[in-house]
Amino acid sequence: MLKIIIPTIMLMPLTWLSKKNMIWINTTTYSLLISLISLSLLNQPSNNSLNFSLMFFSDPLSAPLLVLTTWLLPLMLMASQHHLSKEPLIRKKLYITMLTMLQTFLIMTFTATELISFYILFEATLVPTLIIITRWGNQTERLNAGLYFLFYTLMGSLPLLVALISIQNLTGSLNFLLIQYWNQALPDSWSNIFLWLACMMAFMVKMPLYGLHLWLPKAHVEAPIAGSMVLAAILLKLGGYGMLRITTMLNPQTSFMAYPFLMLSLWGMIMTSSICLRQTDLKSLIAYSSVSHMALVIVAVLIQTPWSYMGATALMIAHGLTSSMLFCLANSNYERTHSRTMILARGLQTLLPLMAAWWLLASLTNLALPPSINLIGELFVVMSSFSWSNITIILMGANITITALYSLYMLITTQRGKYTHHINSIKPSFTRENALMALHMTPLLLLSLNPKIILGFTY
Amino acid sequence: MNPLIFTTILMTVLLGTMIVMMSSHWLMIWIGFEMNLLAIIPILMKKYNPRTMEASTKYFLTQATASMLLMMAIIINLMHSGQWTITKVFNPTASIIMTSALAMKLGLTPFHFWVPEVTQGISLTSGLILLTWQKLAPMSILYQISPSINLNILLTMAVLSILVGGWGGLNQTQLRKIMAYSSIAHMGWMTAVLVYSPTLTMLNMLIYIMMTLTMFMLFIHSSSTTTLSLSHTWNKTPLTTTLILITLLSMGGLPPLSGFMPKWMIIQELTKNSSIILPTLMAIMALLNLYFYMRLTYSTSLTMFPSTNNMKMKWQFETKRITLLPPLIVMSSLLLPLTPMLSILD
Repeated sequence: MLKIIIPTIMLMPLTWLSKKNMIWINTTTYSLLISLISLSLLNQPSNNSLNFSLMFFSDPLSAPLLVLTTWLLPLMLMASQHHLSKEPLIRKKLYITMLTMLQTFLIMTFTATELISFYILFEATLVPTLIIITRWGNQTERLNAGLYFLFYTLMGSLPLLVALISIQNLTGSLNFLLIQYWNQALPDSWSNIFLWLACMMAFMVKMPLYGLHLWLPKAHVEAPIAGSMVLAAILLKLGGYGMLRITTMLNPQTSFMAYPFLMLSLWGMIMTSSICLRQTDLKSLIAYSSVSHMALVIVAVLIQTPWSYMGATALMIAHGLTSSMLFCLANSNYERTHSRTMILARGLQTLLPLMAAWWLLASLTNLALPPSINLIGELFVVMSSFSWSNITIILMGANITITALYSLYMLITTQRGKYTHHINSIKPSFTRENALMALHMTPLLLLSLNPKIILGFTY
Repeated sequence: MNPLIFTTILMTVLLGTMIVMMSSHWLMIWIGFEMNLLAIIPILMKKYNPRTMEASTKYFLTQATASMLLMMAIIINLMHSGQWTITKVFNPTASIIMTSALAMKLGLTPFHFWVPEVTQGISLTSGLILLTWQKLAPMSILYQISPSINLNILLTMAVLSILVGGWGGLNQTQLRKIMAYSSIAHMGWMTAVLVYSPTLTMLNMLIYIMMTLTMFMLFIHSSSTTTLSLSHTWNKTPLTTTLILITLLSMGGLPPLSGFMPKWMIIQELTKNSSIILPTLMAIMALLNLYFYMRLTYSTSLTMFPSTNNMKMKWQFETKRITLLPPLIVMSSLLLPLTPMLSILD
């Protein structure tokens, strides 16, 4: 694993020592090379995990997330070039350093064996993200957004720290590789109920669960493009990944403790999808759609069946790529009109037809069109929740319909119809933007040919 | 002040603390405290104005009361044990009185009221000495009597200190008061684990002193005592703003910075002793502290506050030379990976 971590750390000296006209080229190229290295991890030979050392391992769940993380860094760098072009050189280098630091922490989080190490790195990802949102965001609301983001996550995760330490005292070790063999049922008592809550609430806030999701629209909307991309694509999946790891230790309380969160997720996905239909702010729409998709992942993780785990993993990867692409598209609008209001820049298909093709593909994958991997994820989740309880099909079906409704609403508002007269002088699409969308879309489409690699460890 | 006299007074302060830390006779410890107190009054009053006079008077009165209570506890201990050697305290009454006296010296709740007012009234350098060096002597006595301290009283004082340190700092804009409330909260963390593992108290003290030293030196470097004047540092030395950000986040206890290490170790020690609710509450209340540190970082590092033309005058003055700032900054932010080395303390 050091073959990925050390090059990522070394991207920082690369940034600081590059010449002015080479920083973007150097960092994007080398981060693409690092992502190619991480692709080798997808070759998981057996059902067990690939153990690199006592501290790092990768199994069929963390390998796709790791590949997604490393794939996203060059994309983030490409997306940030335009809005940073007028800043002084040192600030550009600082921005890239923050992104690289975040990337290092994320790689180490996804491959950590020891759960306390996972916790420390999980918290460590907060600091660069906070700095990116608060320092480089564009509106005054970004200050509030950063505070909400930091404090919601910290309030949830401090009980997790205490719970992890008490589990270590009880069982002797928090090394994940050992725990999966040592697992015994947790005795039924009030304190174990609180232990369950303490372990899960951190990830529920991160996912986010419907009642605790207030930080997400603020943070996503106020962050600059790279911040939105990494938040939507990776940081939310940290919650899902953590939940998938920690529920192995929390049986059998999960069977009855999960009910309130299942109810909140099932209802929440309908609510947030419906709110998307009434949004005027484009980034806010995409943020609420993230909440809705993640609610599906929460449902899948909490019902704990093999198919639901497959659906959760596939949905996480698919949603990561899709929502990151949607944020890039929204940002291409924002860079031209400096406004996130949807109706302000409509009818773009006439002016930017190629970008309209990317908008179409992104909206289609967002509404889980077959045969994309979004469909595979959602379908597995819907099927397994139907087998858990027949009534959920009503809510799931309603959610799929409403998702289709708002995705098409977003597409039609921004692309179709007559264009507004004040945008007839926008710059045409840059090759960089088209390349960005292609690099998002190509893995998404190619994965539908072999979805086995993203189906996780219950395949 | 005449440098020779200043050196003599400073040496007396150091000598007083050393006597407290190294004596085995209770009377010598009391003498060390008094020497320390009497010698630090001129240091607190380096600038002669009514505000420093008031601050020094408050400090003198509270610390003298505490020393008297300490003397009473020593005498009761002598009465019940018949000897002057410093070991555990043999009588519960004496233990309670001694704990209260030392809490008064440290600034633990409910004896915390003097800390913000005294710290505000004195200059930054004196405030630095007050909040770091002066805590060493009472803490060393607490360390030595730790087997006989009444757990209920100490834990109550600790938790209340964390609460007061968090809530009290929320409404402050003066940097010295913010550091004072931060000191109250950190003292709370230190004394909470005193009975279970005094080594961790010392670890927390060490890291707290490093971080407070760094913060004060950064304040001295930019000669700022209010949030507003701190927000002008981006004008003069933009690098300082990054350093202030890192150090404040470390004081708030965010991983992966070294301020997280004492909190983590303390939570681990407390949960090993089967108290789970207490460390959870302490950790959540530390978030209050983090909130006003974040507010400071917002105005200093993460936004560029509007500054008037007057601020450009600061460019004319030479930057003060702050000794040891780089190593201090490195130590107050990057020590977390060295945590496994703590196993040598067992």
